[in-house]
Amino acid sequence: MKANGIRRTMEDNVIDIVIYAILIVVFVMTVYPFYYSLVISFNHGIDASRGGIYFWPRVFSLDNYKAVFSNHALLNGFGITISRTVIGTFATLLFTGLFAYSLSYNKLMFRTTYITLLIIAMYFSGGLIPYFILLKKLQLMNTFLVYIIPLMLNAFFTIIMMSFFRELPHELKESAKMDGASEMRIYFSIVIPISAPVFATIALFAGVEHWNSWFDAAFFVTDKDLKTISFMLMELINKANLTAVQGGGGDVERAATYAAQTFTAETIRMATMIVVIIPIICVYPFLQRYFVKGIMVGSIKG
Amino acid sequence: MPNFWSRLRGQLFFQICALMGIAFLLVFAYTPMVGIIIAFKNFKLSSGIPGFITSEWVGFKWFAEFYNDIYFWQIIRNTVVMSLLKLVFTFPIPILFALVLNEVRRQAMKRSVQTVSYLPHFISWIVVSGMIFSFFNEQTGVVNHFLVSTGLADKPISFLSDPAYFWPMAVLSDIWKEMGWWTIIFLAAIAGVDPALYEAAVVDGASRMQRIWFITLPTIKGTIIIVLILSIGNLFGGGLGGSNFEQSYLLGNPVNNGVSEILQTYTLKMGLAQGRYSYATAIGLIQSVISLMLIYLSNYFSKRFSGIGLF
Repeated sequence: MKANGIRRTMEDNVIDIVIYAILIVVFVMTVYPFYYSLVISFNHGIDASRGGIYFWPRVFSLDNYKAVFSNHALLNGFGITISRTVIGTFATLLFTGLFAYSLSYNKLMFRTTYITLLIIAMYFSGGLIPYFILLKKLQLMNTFLVYIIPLMLNAFFTIIMMSFFRELPHELKESAKMDGASEMRIYFSIVIPISAPVFATIALFAGVEHWNSWFDAAFFVTDKDLKTISFMLMELINKANLTAVQGGGGDVERAATYAAQTFTAETIRMATMIVVIIPIICVYPFLQRYFVKGIMVGSIKG
Repeated sequence: MPNFWSRLRGQLFFQICALMGIAFLLVFAYTPMVGIIIAFKNFKLSSGIPGFITSEWVGFKWFAEFYNDIYFWQIIRNTVVMSLLKLVFTFPIPILFALVLNEVRRQAMKRSVQTVSYLPHFISWIVVSGMIFSFFNEQTGVVNHFLVSTGLADKPISFLSDPAYFWPMAVLSDIWKEMGWWTIIFLAAIAGVDPALYEAAVVDGASRMQRIWFITLPTIKGTIIIVLILSIGNLFGGGLGGSNFEQSYLLGNPVNNGVSEILQTYTLKMGLAQGRYSYATAIGLIQSVISLMLIYLSNYFSKRFSGIGLF
């Protein structure tokens, strides 16, 4: 739709103004909370508890980040989260990929049965309690594997990957078969390289899921050394929640008890949040042209 | 059947991969489904997975007990109201935003605002609630500071603890987090509209609003209905992101409990915190059954009235 050759009316101008106003509002409303967190994370803690910081740290300080990076529990939490994200994403790509690939094979015997089982599992679930009992009885509770194994196969990812594999050109696989390559070989050395877009999308989805996950750390794991950073962040935030309830100068009181220090629970929380957010901000813009297609497939066909 | 076995052998690799996935589903998806029957039983954790089958039947005892629970109506109300509020307020917004983005002529601007708009989707509710806590904090938060210093409020507002603010905060944060993400689907649908339609409309003298109203909206009707069905099916689970649980759990506190407690948080409390497995399973089951009925009903009516359905 080109505007060339069409006379612009008064209505066009009004609509344009409204549209750009909306864009600016959306942009500011989305970005400002992130920016605000960043500003607070770089502000001296006790000074921040006086409030009134808008656009710039009032008393600049790196102490919050120093505190985060010298806290062993938090660092351990980051370590656990990084490991589960890397290992978990890899496991999901491998397992879900192979499953989706086999389902994309048209002549697969019992294919309809398999897909029906998958779709049912997508819409129905046993709910939290039976799932909890299962994990307990499988002895997965309180192990690192509880972060990896239950997420290895995801029905929604399977559908996206399967739809992608089905569109791949047949000839590529056929010619490799002529050359005597096994099916496994074809998958790993031909299908995977040409399927980079879908693998990138699923890697992003699975990676983000692992990175943000706190529920399993909260309820399926008791060992403090296995807790993820998101779970720790939740604990920091829960304290803030209670402070909000108690009202009446909670932060000021807290600041006073920490008088000797330059950070407070609030500023530590903000610094931790920023560290948690940064990897996601760095990754997702590069993958957006892939996942836009991905969620279309998933939402419409799924 | 020699043919059967030779075919099977020919696709051995595929069969192994498929069966590994099916085995996974049987263990992690279907075993818990069978486990639902403990809602009708007196299940003890010590009896293990066989206990799903061997523990004694108690019929609808736990359902009756939940119905008589003093929190029953409150929890049902909170679950329903939060879901409906989200449906009413968060469902139309991505459509409007997609229409707005579609009218933007400068591609670079359109793309950058869109990219930014779905960033919050990738951020966890934990981080979002962390932002809410610091943003709306009574003493230090930027919102209250702004309201008081500009005279818009004479004293700080307790957004975080006053129960009156819980539902609005839940709805607004859901919009903030998921709006951009759902916009992707509607924008993609709009991209599929035949440009010739617009050209013809321009020749006929249609204004921009008329083009949106008579061309864009009707052509994306199918997508709108499908997303609506999905959201209604999710109604009891939570708005766009299926996130009532995380919001209620993270933003809930002893003071706003009367408006923030929902079926999922109560299931968690009864089950994992108090170890009342059968009771909690019964509560969870009520939730799933209602959701399932809703998705069937909305699909049925949408097929009936518009001919479009998910299944």
